[in-house]
Amino acid sequence: MFDYETFKVLWWLIISILLIGFVITEGFDMGVGTLLPFMGKTDDERRILINTIAPHWEGNQVWFVLAAGAIFAAWPSVYATAFSGFYIAMMITLMALFFRPVGFDYRSKIQDKRWRSGWDWGIFIGSTVPPIIFGVAFGNLLQGVPYVLDNFLRSTYVGTFFGLLNPFALLVGVFSLSLFVLQGTTWLQMKTENELRARARLISLICAPLTLVLFALAGLWVYWGINGYVITALPDLNGPSNPLLKTAVVQHGAWFLNYEKYPLTQIAPVAGLVLPVGVWIASKFNRSGFAFIASSLTQVAVLLTFAFSTFPFIMASSINPNMSFTVWDSVSSDLTLKVMTVATIIFLPLILIYTSWGYFKMHGRIGKDFMAKNKHSAY
Amino acid sequence: MDHLVDLSRFQFAMTAMYHFLFVPLTLGLAWILAIMESLYVMTNKQVYKDMTKFWGKLFGINFALGVTTGLTMEFQFGTNWAYYSHYVGDIFGAPLAIEGMMAFFLESTFVGLFFFGWDRLTRVQHLATTWLVALGTSLSALWILIANGWMQNPVGSAFNYQTMRMEMTSFTDILFNPVAQVKFVHTVSSGYVAGAMFVLAISSYYLLKGRDLGFAKRSFAIAAAFGLAGIGSTIILGDESGYEVGDVQKVKLAAIESEWQTHPAPASFTLIGVPNQTKERTDYAIKIPYALGIIATRSFDQKVTGLQDLMKSHEKRIRNGMIAYRELQKIRDGDKSARTMAAFNKVKKDLGYGLLLKPYAPNVVDATEAQIQQAVKHSIPHVAPIFYSFRIMVACGVIILLIFLFAFYQSARQRIGKNKLFLRIVLYSLPLPWIAIETGWFVAEYGRQPWAIAEILPTSMGVSTISSAHVISSIIAIASFYTILLIIEMFLMFRFARLGPSSLKTGKYHFEKLESKQGE
Amino acid sequence: MWYFTWILGVLLACSFGIINGLWFEQMENNKNNDDNS
Ligand code: HDD
Ligand code: HEM
Ligand code: HEM
Repeated sequence: MFDYETFKVLWWLIISILLIGFVITEGFDMGVGTLLPFMGKTDDERRILINTIAPHWEGNQVWFVLAAGAIFAAWPSVYATAFSGFYIAMMITLMALFFRPVGFDYRSKIQDKRWRSGWDWGIFIGSTVPPIIFGVAFGNLLQGVPYVLDNFLRSTYVGTFFGLLNPFALLVGVFSLSLFVLQGTTWLQMKTENELRARARLISLICAPLTLVLFALAGLWVYWGINGYVITALPDLNGPSNPLLKTAVVQHGAWFLNYEKYPLTQIAPVAGLVLPVGVWIASKFNRSGFAFIASSLTQVAVLLTFAFSTFPFIMASSINPNMSFTVWDSVSSDLTLKVMTVATIIFLPLILIYTSWGYFKMHGRIGKDFMAKNKHSAY
Repeated sequence: MDHLVDLSRFQFAMTAMYHFLFVPLTLGLAWILAIMESLYVMTNKQVYKDMTKFWGKLFGINFALGVTTGLTMEFQFGTNWAYYSHYVGDIFGAPLAIEGMMAFFLESTFVGLFFFGWDRLTRVQHLATTWLVALGTSLSALWILIANGWMQNPVGSAFNYQTMRMEMTSFTDILFNPVAQVKFVHTVSSGYVAGAMFVLAISSYYLLKGRDLGFAKRSFAIAAAFGLAGIGSTIILGDESGYEVGDVQKVKLAAIESEWQTHPAPASFTLIGVPNQTKERTDYAIKIPYALGIIATRSFDQKVTGLQDLMKSHEKRIRNGMIAYRELQKIRDGDKSARTMAAFNKVKKDLGYGLLLKPYAPNVVDATEAQIQQAVKHSIPHVAPIFYSFRIMVACGVIILLIFLFAFYQSARQRIGKNKLFLRIVLYSLPLPWIAIETGWFVAEYGRQPWAIAEILPTSMGVSTISSAHVISSIIAIASFYTILLIIEMFLMFRFARLGPSSLKTGKYHFEKLESKQGE
Repeated sequence: MWYFTWILGVLLACSFGIINGLWFEQMENNKNNDDNS
């Protein structure tokens, strides 16, 4: 079939696809969660907001779980080093995520004001903290992460937690939150009616330009202030996967080299700048379906911009660039990648089919009538 | 470093055992919901729809915590067991990823449709949804247990010095690993038992209170039949697990039996006794002749090796492991001559035993005699906890079997609810499956020590390079979270279980009738 | 092949549950008929 090298690139692509699935789907349900305490003024309104995502958030979350699982399987050393290096950040994310399943499920079980507003803030935390931390993590991946590897490939993170919170990373964190919120508001434009819909539209109209500006700002910052990494020598693209075999250096402007080499990739950043405008226009003219699609495509464009800029680096070591993890030398064995490719070819289409069926069956706006009718069964 | 290992082990054990409080109920209740809804579609009786919805409500309360705690598990291999993840991720990661694709998506997508699709789907579509949820939960158990089975019996893989890690050599070997197979069936069946016991006990409560009798009796009948099948298969596969363990994990078997010396075949089974680790013997043992030999080897003439003999063989392998480590270092330093490679390949399979020396002699190759003896001593787990846990599990199994036999007999004789004493016994037996399950996991996991991956990677090597302070704080944070969540969950469970089907607000059940009567 | 056994077993266990439910309905019906006559 294909050689090892092809599979290495294929898995870079598949993981990007999983992350895209994650930002599109969890994007809107986390966006809704972030807006919940602010947009819903009464309990009824909050219940409407939650019930727009009630049948879906559970499945959406699996994109995230699966992305983590796929990174474990395809890039084990990256999984190991990133998760243990970012230990505190990971634990905070994890604990924020704890609030969501229980929040959604338990909130409506008891009719008590304090109980419900407590869970509302829980859902808010669970939906707001993770996007910020993901953004911060990606911001740090762009700058390189301070870790070293020993002879046995045991990794040691030598930075601190607060080192992660540098200005650039925080900017990316805010940007990521605004992307998620944008995704949430366009979803709500599509799924709610009357007043809630109008509020969602208003926030979309603010959030779309904000996203655009933050994206441009981050891009300029990378251009002027952030050094990229390049591989200087790599023995064999088909060779064994050991990150200590290559050499790499820090180089100014390296994150833009791929755009010169493969001009087609420039579509991603350009789309990232154009699509928010589309979201704005569609929202302005009350075309909620288009707004949602444009917002989803924005997510895709942004993620691909990141991927195209950093390829083939996954996680660069700022201490010793030679120890960086790249697509070529931090992957699983040939056999594992093959097995997983077969599994993906079988299951990913199936997932897309039944997930779409689920969305199709649950389509339609949710309003006061719906809540009155399903008072005891809805969230 | 030592603290770090213990803390990480504690955190993993805590979160895994906590996760596994919720998992079994999900596994069992999902199929019971499928049975109930099938009956609804077949008989068209509203009561079965109400049953599906009511038990589904309890299922949902439990499911939320299953998901919450599962997230921790998914993170934890990377956060706390980074070297483990690097060393075996090539093999271990694949089933985990496939679990996500094949099972988590299935159960999570359809669980949403199960709760919110009653008006949107046709009856048959909704029924199919429920069956798919049940299938999804069991498939998720399948893949995680393939991963776990591989840790117990690492087949289909080999060490690659070029990448310094284990790599997959045969996926089918991993998939059809005999340990994974018996583990899967034994574990999911134990979940089915937990689900059935849950329904049986809560139905018994309604029967005792004389409430919603039609609802409770039907639930009782279904649970009795499903649970009987479940416990039967749990026990048969438990026996089979014992056989597999005897085959591939001799240390664990000997620890379960507290078998210090190798006795002539067929070995006798120690019913109960007091294992004495320092003196290496079992005090006050009561034995059943022949039984162990038959269980563990399915024969009358094969021996069951005792712990002392096993330690002797470990000593030999540890010495080989030192050679393997030395040769590996030579290779790493660039000496790839045929002689070195041959020397390495000869003792390669004992490399893991060499790593057992790491905590005592960080350089391995220069270990002193005393250090080797120390490693040998710690090459077996503590016997007593395993010995007792196993007996608790089996005792629970026997009691549960009797309960389901009697419950089924009552259902067959149309005498459900007639025997008040039995109802009370069932109600108080509710925790038994959970006790059996947690002790069972303890036997399986603690019995694997000191290995994370049997004979390949010692647990002490697997940890991340992080500070103990970090792990302590995460333990405290997770434990507080989990405690609060458990309290809330129990509160909701008790509340809705007490309320019973009245919580559906259909106006047909006990408390609502009571209210409307008072209103008159 | 224990996986195969599981597929059969779980279907069997579910059928067992369903049949016991149907049987319960049957007996309930009989009882009511007896009471009526
Ligand atoms: C896929 C792998 C896997 C799976 C499915 C499980 N475990 Fe495990 N377990 C481990 C992988 C593991 C591990 C990573 O290998 C640990 C951590 C430290 C160790 O020695 O093994 C471990 C340790 C460990 C310990 C502590 C042993 C000790 O400290 O000596 C207990 C009590 C359990 N586990 C219990 C469970 C329970 C209740 C599980 C059910 C969900 C479970 N394990 C599933
Ligand atoms: C130790 C390794 C384990 C990991 C990494 C793990 C991971 C997870 C994760 C991430 C979830 C949430 C999935 C979602 O979002 O829907 C989950 C749920 C689940 N897991 Fe685990 N799990 C482990 C052990 C087990 C074992 C041993 C079993 C079965 C025997 C099991 C069975 C389940 C089931 C049935 C669910 C569904 C949710 C629920 O329990 O209510 N898990 N697990
Ligand atoms: C009565 C006869 C039983 C026998 C002979 C038996 C035997 C065993 C053995 C030998 C193991 C260890 C397997 C290993 O280390 O790989 C085990 C594990 C386990 N047992 Fe049992 N068991 C019995 C009953 C039960 C019951 C009633 C339950 C729960 C309802 C249960 C739940 C478990 C679980 C969850 C595990 C851990 C998973 C595994 O390793 O398979 N067992 N059992």
